[in-house]
Amino acid sequence: MADVHLEHIDKSFGPAQVLTDISLDIADQEFVVLVGPSGCGKSTLLRLVAGLDSVSSGDIRFGATSVKDLSPGERNVAMVFQNYALYPHLTVAANIGFGLRRMRMTRQQKRAAVLDVARLLEIEELLSRRPAALSGGQRQRVAMGRAIIREPAVFLFDEPLSNLDARLRMQMRSEIRALHRKRPTTTLYVTHDQTEAMTMGDRVVVLNKGRIEQIGTPSEIYNQPRSCFVAGFIGMPPMNMIPIRRSEDALWIGAYRLPLSDAQQRALAGYSNRDLILGLRPEHLRLRPTSGGVPAVVDHIEPTGSETLVYVHHDAQRLCLRAAPDVAPQPGAQVHLDFTLERAVIFDPETELALPQAAAHAA
Amino acid sequence: MRPPPKSWPPTKGSEPLPNAPRIAPPVSAARPAGKLRGARALSGPLPWLLPALIMLGLFYLYPIAEALRLAFTDARLFDQATEPSLDSIRRVSQSAALPVILQNTLVYTVASVLGQLGLGMAIAILVVRAERARLRGTMALRTLVLAAWVIPAIANGVIWQLLFSEAPFGAINSALRMVGFAPVAWLSDPSNAMLSAVIATIWQGTAYSMILLYAALKSIDPALNEAAAIDNATGFERFWFITLPHLRAALLVNAILILIMTLNMFDTILSLTGGGPGRATEVLSLFAYNTVFQSFELGRGAVLSILLLIISLTLTAAMVVFLPRERK
Repeated sequence: MADVHLEHIDKSFGPAQVLTDISLDIADQEFVVLVGPSGCGKSTLLRLVAGLDSVSSGDIRFGATSVKDLSPGERNVAMVFQNYALYPHLTVAANIGFGLRRMRMTRQQKRAAVLDVARLLEIEELLSRRPAALSGGQRQRVAMGRAIIREPAVFLFDEPLSNLDARLRMQMRSEIRALHRKRPTTTLYVTHDQTEAMTMGDRVVVLNKGRIEQIGTPSEIYNQPRSCFVAGFIGMPPMNMIPIRRSEDALWIGAYRLPLSDAQQRALAGYSNRDLILGLRPEHLRLRPTSGGVPAVVDHIEPTGSETLVYVHHDAQRLCLRAAPDVAPQPGAQVHLDFTLERAVIFDPETELALPQAAAHAA
Repeated sequence: MRPPPKSWPPTKGSEPLPNAPRIAPPVSAARPAGKLRGARALSGPLPWLLPALIMLGLFYLYPIAEALRLAFTDARLFDQATEPSLDSIRRVSQSAALPVILQNTLVYTVASVLGQLGLGMAIAILVVRAERARLRGTMALRTLVLAAWVIPAIANGVIWQLLFSEAPFGAINSALRMVGFAPVAWLSDPSNAMLSAVIATIWQGTAYSMILLYAALKSIDPALNEAAAIDNATGFERFWFITLPHLRAALLVNAILILIMTLNMFDTILSLTGGGPGRATEVLSLFAYNTVFQSFELGRGAVLSILLLIISLTLTAAMVVFLPRERK
């Protein structure tokens, strides 16, 4: 058990700077997900915590102890690799028990520990098989068994579900969470899949180009993205980003006026007569039953069963909105949109960061 | 086995493209029945095996059969018109030199094979680790090791003869003198000569073993080593529990190939020591060569060659047993 602290970590491979000034505090037993596009440095960060690579500068502490100069074995971490990295010449039991080799336990104790873990993961009947004879999901479980048997201080997952099919991935997602509830351990979980990030993490860290874009609970990340990048990366379909202009008491989309409430006007004080970006989730755009509001033309619709995604355009601006499953406007039809401005996030087009208004509407 | 079909090879003009591969030509209604039968026979395994069978028969099986025939004669190199006899076999088996030769062969082969495997493995691991660490000069190291391999064995013997030379210009002894050691009688002392021959052989053969093991090492998933490192395995444990089991097949195949090459190696020794001093470095292959080309005893040389073949085959068969089987 340990809390993990990353302090101003930089990592470069030769001239290539991979991570820049990463600082992150993870509480004991917390489940933190690192998410970001390929090449954002999330796996590198995990390898730094594991001790498989060393930091260029900065410090990594487990509790009060700096571990940055310790070998992976000495750090007492466990890791589940993307390709599982099971030892192909060893049986499942030997794979799981490999980490116990240097522990002071009798043969019986070790066997009991392996059996205990196998029961927890429901792989008892596989113990005498070799990895080649296992399915993807079974390998995944063995890899987790190998990790949890040592009762590590920190649990590291490197995109563990990316080799599984969609259905199995969904199942393993909840199993990993269930495992974390049964054996609460500080966990750092790397993924490029935002669904995993949103559903599994106590907190989510969004990385982009080697920097932290935002740290927050899944709900904070979703509802109050701190930058245009987070707004576009998290959420499926992503947040609508609409160029607008602010006057004293309203926002203007071209010639259409969206009136602001008093609170919103106060929050946006100091941004008068400026071009801004209005960020609005698809569920905060509504089709208006009557005329009025902002007109738009339907491009196409995507019925998913539980809802219908309606893609429209207003002038050159493409928008997406979530509608009830029975709504089915024809492509080419003229519709009218309502904007739920209370839930909007406003971005500065120059810095691409959210304006403090985001905090105002949360209050 | 079926005899080759009569239509093979097809008569000129019977095919539109004489150079096209004749693999079961498309059956057309216009073709006469005889051609059809030929086409069907061509689709069997025999035409595919025939080229290999001819080559093997001509260059491997025939010489072995001929050696076997000669072993049962008292043929001499310049007088092969002889009657069948067991004279050659009797004289070889009663030869006083044979036990010494066999002992030399055992010492030379075991030491050379172990040396080539060990050194090849060490260099392969070094190169792979250097590559992982992106060190400069790794490529140069790999190429340098390989350079030894492309030198002909005879030249290799000559090079090492110069290095081991006990004359004032001998490179190794000069170096030893420079750092204050007494010179060593590398080639003239019977107890050192075998060591010298083994060193020369290892130096040349290591490259081959290194390349095979290097390829096997490269195919090991680096994540396995990392997983073991996280599982708190020491460097030696990672080598023992992860790397070595993965190299098992490569090591065995390597050992078999090196064993055969070393058993057959006589050219390096021929140019390095000529088998001497006395018979100190004379191995079975060199003994067979000397018997035929120095003593002109073709019959006895054939017996010795067959003996060498039997030893090679037996050892290879024994090692193949340990090759890992495919398991699923």
